[in-house]
Amino acid sequence: MKDKGISILLSISILFTLVLLGGLSWALKSYLFESQKVVELPKQLVEEQPGEKNTQKEGKFILALGDSLTRGTGDPTGKGYIGQLIDELQSKSKEKITLSNMGIKGQTSAQLLSQIKEKEIQRQMAEADYILLTIGGNDLFQQGQTLVDPSPTMIEPLQKAYLKNLREILQQLRTLNKDATIFMIGLYNPFSYLDDTLHTSQIVREWNYQSSEVCAEFPLIVYVPTFDLFQLKAEDYLYSDKFHPNGEGYRLIAERVASLINW
Amino acid sequence: MIKLIYNEMLKLVRKKRILVIILIVAALIPLFTYAQYKVAQTVEEKLGTTDWRATLQQQIIDTQNRLSSSRISDEWRKQIEIRLAQQQYYLDHDINPAVPGAPSFTRSFLDQAITLFLPLMVMVIAADLVSSEFSGGTIKLLLTRPINRWKILLSKYITMIFAVSFMLLVVSVLSSVISGLVFGYGGWTMPVITGFTVEGGELVTSQVSLLPQWEYLLMELGLVWFVCLVIGTLSFMLSILLRSTAAGMGVMLATLIAGAILTNMASSWESAKYLFMLNLQLTDYLAGMAPPVEGMTLGFSLSVLSVWGLAGLLTSFLVFTKRDVY
Amino acid sequence: MSEEILVVENLSKTIKRKEIVKELSFSLRAGEVFGFLGPNGAGKTTTIRMLVGLIKPTSGSIKICGYNLATHFKEALNCLGCIVENPELYPYLSGMENLQHFARMLDHVTKERILEVVEMVGLENRVHDLVKTYSLGMRQRLGIAQALLGNPKLLILDEPTNGLDPAGIREMREFIRQLAKTNGLSVLVSSHLLSEVQLLCDRVGIISKGELLHVASVEQLLSEQERLIWRVRPAHLALQILQGYTEIKGESSDGLIITPYEEEKVSLWNRVLIEGGVEILEMHRRLPTLEDMFMEWTGGQSID
Repeated sequence: MKDKGISILLSISILFTLVLLGGLSWALKSYLFESQKVVELPKQLVEEQPGEKNTQKEGKFILALGDSLTRGTGDPTGKGYIGQLIDELQSKSKEKITLSNMGIKGQTSAQLLSQIKEKEIQRQMAEADYILLTIGGNDLFQQGQTLVDPSPTMIEPLQKAYLKNLREILQQLRTLNKDATIFMIGLYNPFSYLDDTLHTSQIVREWNYQSSEVCAEFPLIVYVPTFDLFQLKAEDYLYSDKFHPNGEGYRLIAERVASLINW
Repeated sequence: MIKLIYNEMLKLVRKKRILVIILIVAALIPLFTYAQYKVAQTVEEKLGTTDWRATLQQQIIDTQNRLSSSRISDEWRKQIEIRLAQQQYYLDHDINPAVPGAPSFTRSFLDQAITLFLPLMVMVIAADLVSSEFSGGTIKLLLTRPINRWKILLSKYITMIFAVSFMLLVVSVLSSVISGLVFGYGGWTMPVITGFTVEGGELVTSQVSLLPQWEYLLMELGLVWFVCLVIGTLSFMLSILLRSTAAGMGVMLATLIAGAILTNMASSWESAKYLFMLNLQLTDYLAGMAPPVEGMTLGFSLSVLSVWGLAGLLTSFLVFTKRDVY
Repeated sequence: MSEEILVVENLSKTIKRKEIVKELSFSLRAGEVFGFLGPNGAGKTTTIRMLVGLIKPTSGSIKICGYNLATHFKEALNCLGCIVENPELYPYLSGMENLQHFARMLDHVTKERILEVVEMVGLENRVHDLVKTYSLGMRQRLGIAQALLGNPKLLILDEPTNGLDPAGIREMREFIRQLAKTNGLSVLVSSHLLSEVQLLCDRVGIISKGELLHVASVEQLLSEQERLIWRVRPAHLALQILQGYTEIKGESSDGLIITPYEEEKVSLWNRVLIEGGVEILEMHRRLPTLEDMFMEWTGGQSID
């Protein structure tokens, strides 16, 4: 006559109450009283990741590194030249294209150098079929600082440091991956609309020239100029910040790079 | 006493309260599972890879990009930086923070459910326990037994505790079983990082320890249970004070929602940390997320909740044993 | 029969500075049925709720079977079975489950005892159905079964015939009488219906506006003097004249006047009325009903 179900329910509840009570006191204990004890991370956990490095290697893997240009700042669709490039490549090819966009806004060559020392980035660098690189813009323009005093004494140390970083970056890339084609995207002059065009353009040209020289030191690195693209109608291709390209500007870069990729 | 608890349990079951909760949970979990599955799928599509390292790296890059935007507030920036440091730690130590699998799903489900969903379920039980006797008139029969009033109330309170435990059992079992159908049942022993502490906005990793996921889950359940009990106690008190299930649930719900809103604004109103609603995210301390108000710790939150709970319990007993019943 | 099961002394209750119950004192002997009579709002329910421990008295004491309710709640309530207002049971449980539920709250109620009370109230056939399918009469009976579970010495029933049909009322009445007679139970019944109390109770306490006006046995009440009922026109004139000769026990707006019946004086009163210009439409003598007396005691206040 007695409802067995209730008794069972009650017993289960009591049992689980004890379990929960245990969980609570355990959490309390380990959080409040043992937190001073520094627990070493077990080594084997870090190391036991065998075989997983080689993920499915079908299709093409493109790794994009660099600054806001890689990010796509200024493109209202958010794609940037990378996104548009992938779209274009995908329309031409049936192969599966995998993109990894590691661009960080405002990144300088020094920051990129430390970024590529990260383990995961290195893993991706090793696996990439193509590596796209935009760097140097932030080194040179320093968010407009350089424009205040575009004198050789100001530019020279910047350029020197940049070239050293670039060399190291490319060195790193080449060491990790001998086969990938690396595209180094050159700088354009966003200030060609200013009165001082001649002077800034000269600086950018010089910068680009030195960059391409460094690229030439390594095999399979293609230096892709963009200076000419923005030379005449800069304002049509620039975003409202007068610094980053707009959607159309990115399309120009993307088309140029796309024409260089063939598989 | 056990007979009285048996009585209360019987009524709870026959009023179909337990069934309602099981059904709600059983209906919602597949929904969340599907959503989670969809999220995993989109991420996969977007990145073209199922490799979690790539995903995590991408997240880090995204976070870094957000950081470089100048429009974010200082508090927000701090939170992001902490998140970033944590993600980097996972990556550097080759620990996947979200191995898709039943335990991981349950873990994140509990994290999400602790502020609103579970308290709501608790209220379904607790708010009704006393006020239904009033509205049904049966309180008159109940209180004219040769049993002291505090014993009757205690039996109801204990029943509430048991029912909350049972509800958590149902939630964890159902979410494991259902999500396991999609994500698989692996990952119980996966190492999970805990013990991040945030001091002055800086992530301190010196106290970090690794736990198998099931241990983490157990601790998390314990904390969730505690939160549910406090919510239960407060709804219990309200149902005694207001003598109406609907009014009790309404007040409690309004408070919880207000709390959810306040949590996002509390960083500038420091004394808000003494409100119980802002201390519900106990699991965040385990996961090492920044608290709503700087300087809040697990110990602090537990104390605040305990004080509220005890006050609620005391009020309940005082009012219930003293009050005239008309 | 002199054992006093319930003793109430100077019971008062003040709610928000309004005295609901004033200085109530009465007692109940074993085996007697006591009627608690009064109009709605007279304080009956409040008194009963104080007796069963739902409301704390402002002052005064209640003793059930010798135990003070305030200090020995458990022992006192062990002697008590009650229904306050409607017997509201759990509609989502069956009759049997309800009884088991309440049996678990008492000290030692055996399975046999449960079956026994079910049989006593005649619910054998429906006891396993859910209470929400019960008629009011069945709920009332289940309520009584519940009250009887613990073998109480005192049964307190608040308006036990409320909402029952005439057959149900008669059945309930017989049942209560039988309980008192065969089981020696004391029963306290509250009602606002005179006819019911008159038929059911041994003694009656009449309460109005929180005060106990009169306690007497029903027979004693009814053995009082015969009354003379006058129907006259114009009433106010007749009243004026009669006041000079005898006591006015009651009057009503439709020209009825009640006076004591005194055989030797009736013809005299009759004559002076006629001489005074009063038309006498009707005069008859009869034994007063509780209704008449209630009107007299409460000063013309009607019962409903």
